Parts: sequence; C-alpha cells; structure tokens
Amino acid sequence: MDLAEGFRNHREKIVNKWVEYTLSTYLSSGFFLKENDKFANPVGGNIREALGRLFLLLVKGADPKEFIPPLEQIISIRAVQEFAPSQAVSPLNAVKHITREVFAADKERSQLVNELYDFEFAVDLAVLAAFDMYMQCRERLYQVRINEIRTGNHILAGSRCPSQMLSAEK
Amino acid sequence: MAVPKLQQLAKSVVQGPSLATGAIPTRDWMDIPVVFKSGNYAYPAKKEKVEYLNSQSGLHFPNAREWSPEDDDWKLPEDWKEIILKGLKERLDKFRSLKIFMDCCVRCGACADKCHFFLGTGDPKNMPVLRAELLRSVYRNDFTLAGKILGKMAGAREMTVGVLKEWFMYSYQCTECRRCSVFCPYGIDTAEITMMLRELLHLVGVGINWILEPASNSNRTGNHMGLQPHTFKDNVEFLLDDVENLTGIRPNISFNRKGAEVLFITPSADVFAEPGLYTAMGYMLLFEAIGLDYTWSTYASEGGNFGLFTNNETMKKLNAKMYAEAKRLGVKYILGGECGHMWRVLHQYMDTMNGPADFLEKPVSPITGTVFENAASTKMVHISEFTADLIKHGKLKFDKSRNSHVKATFHDSCNTSRAMGLLDEPRYILDHVVDWVEMPENTIREQTFCCGSGTGLNTDEIMELRMRSGLPRANAVKYVHEKHGVNMLACVCAIDRATLTSLMNYWNPGVSVCGLTELVANALVVEGETRGELEEGLRTML
Ligand code: SF4
Ligand code: SF4
Repeated sequence: MDLAEGFRNHREKIVNKWVEYTLSTYLSSGFFLKENDKFANPVGGNIREALGRLFLLLVKGADPKEFIPPLEQIISIRAVQEFAPSQAVSPLNAVKHITREVFAADKERSQLVNELYDFEFAVDLAVLAAFDMYMQCRERLYQVRINEIRTGNHILAGSRCPSQMLSAEK
Repeated sequence: MAVPKLQQLAKSVVQGPSLATGAIPTRDWMDIPVVFKSGNYAYPAKKEKVEYLNSQSGLHFPNAREWSPEDDDWKLPEDWKEIILKGLKERLDKFRSLKIFMDCCVRCGACADKCHFFLGTGDPKNMPVLRAELLRSVYRNDFTLAGKILGKMAGAREMTVGVLKEWFMYSYQCTECRRCSVFCPYGIDTAEITMMLRELLHLVGVGINWILEPASNSNRTGNHMGLQPHTFKDNVEFLLDDVENLTGIRPNISFNRKGAEVLFITPSADVFAEPGLYTAMGYMLLFEAIGLDYTWSTYASEGGNFGLFTNNETMKKLNAKMYAEAKRLGVKYILGGECGHMWRVLHQYMDTMNGPADFLEKPVSPITGTVFENAASTKMVHISEFTADLIKHGKLKFDKSRNSHVKATFHDSCNTSRAMGLLDEPRYILDHVVDWVEMPENTIREQTFCCGSGTGLNTDEIMELRMRSGLPRANAVKYVHEKHGVNMLACVCAIDRATLTSLMNYWNPGVSVCGLTELVANALVVEGETRGELEEGLRTML
C-alpha cells in the first residue's frame, strides 16, 4: 500500500473534512456547506472547488507557482471578510492534521503517517504563498479605494462643488 | 495527537474577534450585541448637513450633532424610546404593508440564503428573515397581545439602546435590493422593512453622511454633487467637445429650454464621472441621430433620489422637483436616462406621492409614433424602452463591428429589474449592437444579484463590506469572463457604473463597466459623421 494510493483512496474524505473545517470558520455555515450551486453559494462553492484543486497539487508535489490560482480563489474571499490575517490563512494548514487523522484511523494505512513529510512540506509552502496572496489582495483593495477617490466616483455624493475646492486650494 | 491540535487551530481561528459582530452566535441571536469598529460602519452624517435638511420645509431631521457609532453614548434625545415607538405606531397606521409584513412571516426560511450580504458574510443577522426580525421583535413586544404577555417566548423584546444600535448596523447592511422578496411565498419585502428602520433611526438623528449630504445637495442645487447650474452646463459641454472630436458630429443641445418636447433627466454622475461620461456622450449622439427635440435642465440635474434611502418625505420632495421643472418648462413628457433608484421611485411610489402628472401628456415617441401606455400616469419613459422602440421600427442604423473590441454581459440592476420589470428591452438592444452572453440563470433578471453598494452604501470607508456583499455578482461575472472572454459588464444604472467598476477592479481585473447607451452610440451610424477607426469606441483617446 503506497502513499499515492492512500491519497487516492482517501482524497474525497480528506477534502470534505478540509472544506467542512474551513467553512466552520463562518458564523452560520450550514448553508455554505450544503448548497452545491456555486452561483447560489459563492463562498462555499469557491472554497470547495479550490481546496479540491489544491489538494491534487499538494499530493503531486507540484511547483508552488501552480498553487496560486486555487489560493487566490480562496484568499481573495477571506481577505475581505472579518478575519485577522492568521485566521484568513490558517484553514489551509488544517489539511496536515486532517490527513494524519484520516490515515491514522485506517488500520491498513496507519503506517503512511510516517511518510507524510513531503506532503506536509508542500502544505507549508502553500501556507507561505497564501500570506503573499493575502497581502496582494489587501493591496489591490487599497488600490480600488484610491482609484475610486481619484476617478471622482467617490464624489458622486458627499462633497463640495469642485470650483469651491479649487478656490480652497489657492 | 493530531485531533487536539486541530481543535486548537480551530480555536485560534474561530474565536478571534469578528469585525462585524464581535461574537460567535453561541447564544440566541437576540443576545449578541453589535460592535462598531472602523471599517464596519459608514460615517455618521455631518452636523451641518442634518441641520440644513431639518431647516427645509416638509423635512424632519432632528438631533443634529457630532457623534460616533464607536462611542457608547450616541447622544440620543432623552425621550428617544418614546420617539421610536411613536414613530413605529404612526407608520403601522399609515402603511398597511408594514403591518402585514410584521404579522405574516411564517419563518419558512425561503429568503434566508438569498441575500448577498448573507452570502458574502455568513452572518445570520444578514438573513432577510432575521433582519426583519430586528424590527418585528420590538413590534411584537409593544404592539401585539402575545408579545405583551409572553415576551421573549413569543419572540418579543424591549426596545433598548442595544437594539437601536443593531438596527443601525443591519439596516445599513441591506441595499434594499428586494432579491429576498422574490423568493418569499408571502411577498414580504424586507427592503421596505429596512426603509422603515432607517426612517425610524432618522427620527432620533441616526443617519450616514454618504446619504444625507447628497440628499441635501440635491435639495439645494438639484444634484448630488451640489453642482451649480453653470458648472453642470460646462460639464455637459465638455462632453460635447469629446463627441465632436471622435465622430465629427457636434450634437445640438440646450438647457432649461421652454417649449422643448421632452425633458431629459439622468443621474448627474453621467456628466462628470467615469465611466458614466461615455454613457452621457452616447445619449447626446443618439438624440442627435434621431433629431429629438429635448432639453437638459440645470435644476432637475439629477435623476438619482437619495431621499429613497432616508424617509418618504425626502423621497417625495426630490421626486417632485423633476415634475416641477417639467411643468415650468412646459414639456410634453420626461425621458429618463440610465438610473436605478430614480426608476424605483418612479415606478413604485411616484403615483401615490406626486401623481398623476396631469399637466404633462401621455408620452409618444416623436420618431415612431409609439404611445407609451405604461407611462400614461407618470409621463416618464425609460431610455431603454425608448431606444428599443426605435430599433424595432428600424429607425437606427448600426455597425456592430464598431463594438468588436467588446464582449459584453449584462447586469440587471436591482431597481430596474425587480422594481420596474425592465428585463427584455436592454437585451433586445444588446442583441443589435454588440456580441454578448448571459450570466448564469440564477444571477440575472428577477434573480439578479445586487452590486453590493446600493442605497447609499457606495462609500469607500466600508470597502471590504462592499466587496463581500458584491461577491455573488462578481462571482457570476468571473464565470463568463473565464468561459467566454467577457471584458465588459454593461448595465443601466449610474450607481452600478461606479460601484461595479470597483467591484471588478477587485474581483475581476480585466472586466470594465459601461452603460448600455455607450454601446448603442459606439455602434450607431450617424448621417454626416467623419468617424475614423475608434478602437475603443467613445472611450478612444485621440
Ligand atoms: S432587500 Fe436585498 S439586501 Fe436587503 S435583505 Fe433583502 S436581499 Fe438582502
Ligand atoms: S420567505 Fe417570507 S415568510 Fe419565509 S422567512 Fe422569509 S420573510 Fe418570512
């Protein structure tokens, strides 16, 4: 029984638990877990899709650059929600614990737990990349704010007449 | 070993303070107090704006003062509770719909997962049913027998300062988009409950600046920005220069012209902020192409009605201003530009508030002879109805290849789709002028998702909140962007043009936002034009 087969057999279970764990960080997560339509349930749908993709990449030991699209799918959402940076990122880490737990519970495969070093290292890389992604998202957000102020969309409402602002500048 | 570690991880993740609510709902939702922190509330209205509004005839905005939602003491009037309960009683007597909405919810939950604020935050108090419950619980306590006797067991609770703060938090996390009402078997319109919450809050001086300042500007100079007539005129004329440079055609325009057939009113955003500018250029080119006898007004220089987001008196007054100007100028009827809430006010409330507009005529298209029976009472026609009718009668000539740089999708604005039923005209127009695709079915037409920043929430201090509430919309755009290469999100609302731009810049860089009439004008072939190859249509920099 090799590790690759272990991952294959338990993929669904691990990813499900991972998704469940990640969604449990929301106040009212029942619906996020249950609804499968990605358009009716964007948080749940995107997180499920992205974690599934990311898991395959982690298992395969893919180039960390490939982690970026699924990470962005998750982190762009969590970066604008009510999480501290560590909270936004940390559910990614959980897959290490979940995988150990799942393998350990499977008597035939419990010895695989000792072979998880590479996988866990890949998770570490993904978590680090997620921090970069988090910062990128925040920076993009600030840029959006600045752009809005600059283009004048922010003076659609709530501001003085431009000629008055000009004379104030003089 | 692994299991306790995971629990520890979960603990550190889940139990951190939550920015919006400050707590996890381990207790009954009623017992969880709201916590205001920088970033989760819009700034309160400036004292002088409230004072000004309160000084105006017919308007009531008491308790002007400096205050902050973060302070414990909101400096409410001493008898604030009596004011609120009396205000609620008055409204229950005045609006039968409110009484019905308070009584008939069966808590079936059909609306619960339909709100973009809930979908973006996972906060249960953003479920429409709970949002309504914020008011309903007080209603039960003071206005129903069961509530008076059974209290909390009957879902009743006393009006306290904590409840009032909760009202403020959650009535400004609702864009009054009415998506929830589409799914409610009883037709309960949570948007109207939010409107009541906001009205009641204004009675004790609790409101936000992003709404009250534009409302006061509109009352004073006629538009949100507070632009005076000469500035408004200058802005429109700048756009005229641009149209001329691009197409070789200088449209004839006029301001405040008595005896014009049609008064044209659009959101002021169209004449001074990107990307609305291009839509405004589009209007002028279109009207020139058909030789419409129309005038702009520098007084009714705003279609938007921020009164809708405050109270019914202010909404009525700002709506009346358009009709007063139509009367003064002696036009036959009003043609309205691409706006959201202008049309909501017009379609749902104008007739009862200010109608019927008997001094105007039933709108007839001077080009096709079509009688707009649907506008027989309000005397105001939507630019998309008007344009679709022109196309249907073969009055416009298009070269679709002029929009070949665009692959569009269409965002149904909440107001025009759900509050007005304008669903097919924009699509009919798109079919004729551009290559476009629909977003997924459960995100368009009546089920459209809000931009997330409507009802005066388009202010930058709550940008994160806007990005989360706009996620469902952005998520559907992302899908067509990735699948079909969509690079343009078309809409018929000025607030959308501003807010969707920010939303796209965050979620889907590479997708721009435009008004429908911009696409019409891009493709329009006008007699006498000397237009060269415009790679980006009216946006081309020469
Ligand atoms: S009206 Fe819109 S924003 Fe308000 S509760 Fe309903 S779905 Fe949510
Ligand atoms: S769908 Fe209507 S009846 Fe059902 S919980 Fe929502 S508001 Fe109440």
